[in-house]
Amino acid sequence: MDESTCQAYEDEILSLEEEIKLLAEKYEDGQQESTFFSDEEILMAVKSSQGEFEGESEGRESLSDLKAQLESLETDLSFLMKFTGIQFTSHSKKTVERTTKRTVRKHRLSGNCLSLPFQLEFQLLEVQNEGNVSAVVTDLSIVLESAEDSDVIKFVSSTEECGNLLTFFRRVLSYAEWHEHRRATFLHFK
Amino acid sequence: GLFAYLEMLEAQAHKAAVKQEEMEQQEEKLAMLKKRLQELRLQRDELRAKVELQEKGQLGKEGVTSEPAQPSAQTVLEWKIKSIKAMLQIFYLTGISGKLTKRGVCFCISTAYEGTYLDSYYLDLLTKPEVQIYRHSIPAFIPLEQIAKKYLQTDIRRFLSVLLDHLNAYVGRRFQADQLQEQFPEQIEGSLQRNSLCNLLVFKYNVSSEGKTFSLTARLLYGDLCRSLPTEAVVSCAPDSPASLAEVAAAHSDLFRRMALHKAFRSFSSAVEIME
Repeated sequence: MDESTCQAYEDEILSLEEEIKLLAEKYEDGQQESTFFSDEEILMAVKSSQGEFEGESEGRESLSDLKAQLESLETDLSFLMKFTGIQFTSHSKKTVERTTKRTVRKHRLSGNCLSLPFQLEFQLLEVQNEGNVSAVVTDLSIVLESAEDSDVIKFVSSTEECGNLLTFFRRVLSYAEWHEHRRATFLHFK
Repeated sequence: GLFAYLEMLEAQAHKAAVKQEEMEQQEEKLAMLKKRLQELRLQRDELRAKVELQEKGQLGKEGVTSEPAQPSAQTVLEWKIKSIKAMLQIFYLTGISGKLTKRGVCFCISTAYEGTYLDSYYLDLLTKPEVQIYRHSIPAFIPLEQIAKKYLQTDIRRFLSVLLDHLNAYVGRRFQADQLQEQFPEQIEGSLQRNSLCNLLVFKYNVSSEGKTFSLTARLLYGDLCRSLPTEAVVSCAPDSPASLAEVAAAHSDLFRRMALHKAFRSFSSAVEIME
């Protein structure tokens, strides 16, 4: 009788540990998604020197480490935006479902492709498989400004239907280049 | 006599002592587990309550009791770091993401078929003295060297774009073949024959008409490596097949050239269902 009670306790402990991990992640996600700090607040934090020389509470990195991390990430991001021509101006997400294997999030993304503004909304499902994470886009909604062209309108609606986010980004780049070129030519002849 | 008796008593006592110790250890273990269990249950309940409050929107910016009303510089920076990391992850969805390295840049090329993201490949480039490929995970059957020779030095964006087209098309073709095998196993006879580049597909499949089953052979050639639809689709039937089957074969050949493989199968499978 003791053996089985032991096993039952151990099983429950494992399941509780998993549940706790999940709840903690859920809480952190929620905190991240419902908080917003303006650029000024960020700048103030970067200029701040509190906790500069000691690591604050255990488990958290020191302020100087965080500043260095932030700088490196911002450099990478600004390089990517310049290189690809895709600039994201705002991004918000909301975790809709989270289990050990699946995470479903709703994303709202706005940006410019060269000088062409766009707004996207989609749902992203991420599944943890052995060794990798697979992602599926659903409920894609695209708003592309200056899309007067009927071809473009068709493209946007067929892309929305299949959730073809990758194709959208690839094609919108060439459309933006063409659009830019046309605008420059038009201005030239004005 | 006596000696043996004493030995037996000693052995019994020893056995009893061992058993007693085992029982005590077991009880101790059980007690420890129970304690841990109660701690975890408490922790879990507290977290549950926290998450519930958060969902009801009652936490706001101040957070729970222990967090100060004025967020520390650390909290602000941690938040910003997380949000930039999230944005960098979003770049993955555009097809090209990456990060700067000491000697150049490491790109990550992602592929997708419709809404499903599939394999991603990395390309580690050096930028000095000239742009060169340092390391990569591009499969050998993709003409990387050819593409690099043409574009890498002069137009790196074009290079990546062409490479992306090749990789996406390959992954798309492979995905369609996999989906076909997965979704229509009863209709496919034997196994799907394909090369590593997945630009040549040969398979036998059956169709039913008027209660009889007929066998067709399809040979799909994807002549354009940047596309995931075949340029050639030959569907043939056995020489003794009825004439109507040749019509079906021609219709299928047309379908295969126009739509994704698994979708083509879906369309003529459902058509048959309607007819029956």
